[in-house]
Amino acid sequence: MKLRATLGYTAAAITILVALLTPFLLTGLFAKGVLALGLHVDDVYSGGPKVRAIPMGAYSIDVHRPVYPHLLQSEKPFVQLDWTPVSALPRHVSDAVDIDGDGLPDVRVTFDVPQDPKAPLRVDVESLNPHYQAMQNAGKDKFSRLIVRVDHAKDTPGDDVILVRIPLGNP
Amino acid sequence: MATEARILPFARPAPRGILWSLFLTLPIFIWSLLMMGFHPGASAEPLSRISGILTALFMTVLFFMMMRTRSTYRWRRIFFVSLGVLFPIGFIHNLVVARGTMGIPIEEMIAGRTPFCFMPIPILILPAALTKTVAFPGSLAGNSHGIAIMVGLWLAFTLVLGKGWCSYACFFGGIEEGVAAIPPRAKIRKLDPRWRLVPWAVLLAMVLLSLALFEPAYCMWLCPFKAVTEYVAARNLLGLVQNVIFILLFAGLVIVLPFLTKKRTQCSWFCPFGAFQSIFNKISIFEMRIDKERCHPCLLCQNACPNLSLSKESIARGETLISCMKCGACVDVCPRQAAVWHIKGTQIAWKPERARLMFLYSAWALAVMFGGTIIAGSVYTILHFIV
Repeated sequence: MKLRATLGYTAAAITILVALLTPFLLTGLFAKGVLALGLHVDDVYSGGPKVRAIPMGAYSIDVHRPVYPHLLQSEKPFVQLDWTPVSALPRHVSDAVDIDGDGLPDVRVTFDVPQDPKAPLRVDVESLNPHYQAMQNAGKDKFSRLIVRVDHAKDTPGDDVILVRIPLGNP
Repeated sequence: MATEARILPFARPAPRGILWSLFLTLPIFIWSLLMMGFHPGASAEPLSRISGILTALFMTVLFFMMMRTRSTYRWRRIFFVSLGVLFPIGFIHNLVVARGTMGIPIEEMIAGRTPFCFMPIPILILPAALTKTVAFPGSLAGNSHGIAIMVGLWLAFTLVLGKGWCSYACFFGGIEEGVAAIPPRAKIRKLDPRWRLVPWAVLLAMVLLSLALFEPAYCMWLCPFKAVTEYVAARNLLGLVQNVIFILLFAGLVIVLPFLTKKRTQCSWFCPFGAFQSIFNKISIFEMRIDKERCHPCLLCQNACPNLSLSKESIARGETLISCMKCGACVDVCPRQAAVWHIKGTQIAWKPERARLMFLYSAWALAVMFGGTIIAGSVYTILHFIV
């Protein structure tokens, strides 16, 4: 009984120490441990990793890897294209984009770039390859079908983009 | 063998002397100043200094009163209700300044700027374990709302507090605890104990649903506190339905039922995080116990428990239920000092005040660090508007 009590008080004293170390050491240590697990935010939110950039003169189009949602996820498969930086885009964009890198255009993406960064965006996508679906006058319909302006400037200055997500069709 | 507990009289212990109470409070005062940024290199902005010193004094005075009166619950409740009321003020202010609305636009989700609170931790573990994917539109690294930081904070707190998180760290529970404190008597007294199982059912359902749909299902559909923090921007009928659910759950579980029952009904009957957190009471070294030899089951402790964590059966066993959040209500109300703070491994009711002090130093240090910082931020916001 005495041994158990000694162990109990020792553990209680360690607990106080843990509490005192929490703001200075443990929170950061545990957070690093979480990061070391190699987790990543679901591609449906992040858009998946960039696979290549297509230079378009003053701006470029970043092509992301196609995203295939999990089993019962409510989104459809899609591919994300980023037009960046927004400041270099013309007032009206109409680009034929080779998404799969085979040298042939797969979609023609058309949208206006308003001066006001908060103004709503609309996009038309003409499908030139049945693997990619056409969209008419699409806005912020779903994660897998949208056009939005994402202001990354809060994190990395000058990195604002207009991103378009195009649903995949049947090949 | 006569233990100290057998020798102690049944009368309430006398208040501790002022000087001795001040001495016991001194470490917390120093800690509060440190946590509120009173150290070399800290911000010297006057409003920040004022909100910091006000919060440090607030937390110190409450701890002093805990030492002086030897009671815990009512002083902790003042902190906890303040945290519950002030957190949404600071949080909503920050949201409105940053994005102009409480609704989360889809752009913010894609940019990974959705603030991550602790609530979805249990429901995201399984998807993360199976696919290394976090089914939440936030950011893993980075700012104070980053997922890794919040998980790290939660882990450290859980080691110290176990389910005590729900009494000393949760920035939501204070709202219903405050509402529950308003009426002098409960309008609804007979509460079916089977309701205690609902949080476990909600937890199981949300874990499975989040795994199947690969989204934080609780945040998307059931979190009552979306009503006072941020919510999915109602872009369509689905978003509208989600927001109506949030508001109805908040009104029912956080306002109406606590007022009628004088219990933390959202915590006791619904919260899946609370159910998950209960498991960690098993690893926490601190617990509440009932000294069976002193107890003449008057059930005052059962009635006082805000979280329905005592039953006749558990009292007979000399234990609280697994959902006990170590608020101290049972100890403070017990006329025979049968309900006691306890360190596992030691004899029941042997130097319970020592166990209480050791727990309170740990819990209050973390309360100052986390809740205190939140309070200071909200006080700063309020001062900013006034001055």
